Amino acid sequence: MRVPRPLYFIVVLAIAAAAGWYFFRPSAPVPGETVTVYYTKLDGTTLGTWDVSFRPAQPGESDAQRLHDLAVYAALQAVAGPPPDIAAVHFPTGTRVRNVSVNGSTATVDLSREVGSASGGTFQENGEFKGLVYTLTGIPSINAVQITIEGQTVGTLPGGHLELDAPLRRSDW
Amino acid sequence: MHRFAARIGSAFAILVLLATTVVRADSVSYAFERSSITFTHIARNPSGTAVGIDDPALRSLLKSLGATLTWRPGDHIVLITTSAPEVIGFSVGNAQYTVGPITAQGRFAPYLNGSEVYLPFDDVMRALGVSAQDGVLERLLTSLDVQGYGVQAVLIAHGGGVLRPRVVTDTPDRVVYEFDGVGTTLAPQRAVNAGGIRTVEITSSGSARDPKTLVTIELLPGTRHDAPQSGSGEFEVAFGANGSAPPLVEPLHDAVAAAAPANAAPATTAPPPPDTTNVATPSQSPSAQATAGATVNAVTVQATGDGGRAVTIAVTGDATYEWHRLRAPDNRFWIDIKNAQLAGGPQDQAEANPLVALRVRQIDPQTVRIALSLADDNALDVSPATTGISVNVGTEMLGDTAPRSGTGSIGAVVSASEPQTLVTPVPADEYGATGDQSAWKFGPQTYVPTNPKLIVLDPGHGGGDRGSMHGDLQEAILNLDLAKRVQAILVARGWQVKMTRTIDHDVDPTPRSTQEAIGIGHDNVDAYALQARDDIANEAGARLFVSIHCNAYLNSGPNGATVYYSKPIDVQLAQIMDRDIAMSGLGVKDDGIVKSHLYVTSHANMPSVLVETAFLSNPSDYAKLASSDWRQQMAQAIADGIDKYAQQNPVAGSAQ
Repeated sequence: MRVPRPLYFIVVLAIAAAAGWYFFRPSAPVPGETVTVYYTKLDGTTLGTWDVSFRPAQPGESDAQRLHDLAVYAALQAVAGPPPDIAAVHFPTGTRVRNVSVNGSTATVDLSREVGSASGGTFQENGEFKGLVYTLTGIPSINAVQITIEGQTVGTLPGGHLELDAPLRRSDW
Repeated sequence: MHRFAARIGSAFAILVLLATTVVRADSVSYAFERSSITFTHIARNPSGTAVGIDDPALRSLLKSLGATLTWRPGDHIVLITTSAPEVIGFSVGNAQYTVGPITAQGRFAPYLNGSEVYLPFDDVMRALGVSAQDGVLERLLTSLDVQGYGVQAVLIAHGGGVLRPRVVTDTPDRVVYEFDGVGTTLAPQRAVNAGGIRTVEITSSGSARDPKTLVTIELLPGTRHDAPQSGSGEFEVAFGANGSAPPLVEPLHDAVAAAAPANAAPATTAPPPPDTTNVATPSQSPSAQATAGATVNAVTVQATGDGGRAVTIAVTGDATYEWHRLRAPDNRFWIDIKNAQLAGGPQDQAEANPLVALRVRQIDPQTVRIALSLADDNALDVSPATTGISVNVGTEMLGDTAPRSGTGSIGAVVSASEPQTLVTPVPADEYGATGDQSAWKFGPQTYVPTNPKLIVLDPGHGGGDRGSMHGDLQEAILNLDLAKRVQAILVARGWQVKMTRTIDHDVDPTPRSTQEAIGIGHDNVDAYALQARDDIANEAGARLFVSIHCNAYLNSGPNGATVYYSKPIDVQLAQIMDRDIAMSGLGVKDDGIVKSHLYVTSHANMPSVLVETAFLSNPSDYAKLASSDWRQQMAQAIADGIDKYAQQNPVAGSAQ
């Protein structure tokens, strides 16, 4: 049986339209999850917060993977600090989060060596780590944060004041 | 039918061919800062251009902007931390992306191409503060804000990458900053009329490949301005109208004169104003201030039959009280008994569920605070009893509508504010920044010195570790100078004093400190050296350990004196030291006492504090630290604090 030519074109166009829609369909915004990021105000002790949204769960994503991603996101936000118009204690310029892992209830945050580059006093160390620890321990199931620098456990930052060899908790402040 | 199938098959082949050509690998070049930059991991699709995160040009651009990209294979999120710093977050499969706290709608969702994530190019550039138009990449001045503080104002600019403008004009009525290599789309002019700034005008010049942005500040007569501060992604300059100092800067000689009055009395001879505490405690009710006073004799905890805990606060006399509790997950409760004195010493104890810990403190001369750390958002009931106040903590959870603060009275006092519901202070108290928290890593509860006449003074840093350095001043040298002055005062008063260092050298790690440090996981020399300082005090069985430092920060804003502590037995020493410094006429701001997990105070067995005397990074504090007279007054205040603590906490068999 010979298929009429118009029908042939209609079928091809329908397939092309369907394929085009499939490949280039807009992603509908899906509500994610809110992460509260803490920062230490310039009085050196008081905490402020701002909320950032974290992406929705991905299909097939395990709880462990999502917890890890959430911890990475939270650590990066905390190290970056609040929006620039908010006065806060900041980590030194160039400080990067090299890695974050979660083992049990302890998150290990590996920072780049720039974290020790500022010759700030107790004020800076206390404020920057307080914000980071409060942010990560705000994630359910994380209650302690181990800091490492360039992959190494350290007692303090170079010429530093805060003890970093053991996990830090909110109760340290 | 065969022909139909063949035609359908060929149509599919054409579609596949089309699909592979629509999303095809490509490259694109831009002029950028007087050179060109070529992106090679480029894919063009109908929604826009995508760039792969492994693109060498993208990495190079990020580096030049002071930004870093974080992604690991398998991750769904790509994060870019800008120099501001601000985090830009992209999620694979989600067209929304975040720039700091702002969520934006991207042109299309990032996607995986093989093992590489491709991001929407235009959105990445926009988030970075970079314009990509007509073959030119241009860093943008994205915001210019003026924050007014009465007759003072601060101008803050943000943009793509680190902003380092140069001053091209600086006259009494006008300052002009040139941002080289930076374009802008900001409004050209705005009236400000604050802080001595009349208007701000923004103009662009230069070429598309070599843009310049000029920011012209028209000033009112007599306006002064600070030297600009430029750093991590922002540019900031302070202005002061009518001859007033800009917010962050004071003339050095003025600051010294204000800080060191010639007739400043030593702290020990200046009794505290009787109303100081009332002034500092605005929530205190008038009736509480008028009462004769009460005594908190004991605080005890007992299990109740239903699994809860009953906290009994034994109070004699008349008093009012107010209580607060915070919201989960910060499950703390405290009750302040006004116009009361604490009999006996401070109390710290761990407790069983549903409590975690209990603390009792005389937080100021007229207020006793009992703080409870709860295991959960447990319901509790506060009620006056015949012998004082009863706090019953139950096992059931608190409802959302239950009160979280309240007041009451015991004895003959009727609280003027009863039954007013108080507003729980947040966030300063909420996060327990000033010692209000009862969630402790419990340290030693008691300490008996084997050498009760010995004080160990620790001048921070030294030798290869210079501490903070600003101008001509080095923290290591200042700390030693201050400690020697304290030493001289204490020795004259009959104390034995041991210094962790007496010259400008490192405190060498001892074999013991090294062994101890390694044993608890330290692997850097800084920790050994700090442990060595503690060893000097611990091995000698000293009465107190006082570490002396100068503070600093990245900018000149923060200032003041702070007393840091770590353990429960440090708190009283910290409070007394802070009070003496605050009331000694030093002219330095009182930043209070701060709990922190500092190495030297955590590992000293005895009551210990770390005193940050002032900020080297603040011009006003700097001038104070540079003054020999001021350092002598500070040394006097520290010595007085040590004396006062010793008098209030006598050691059996010791004259001091």
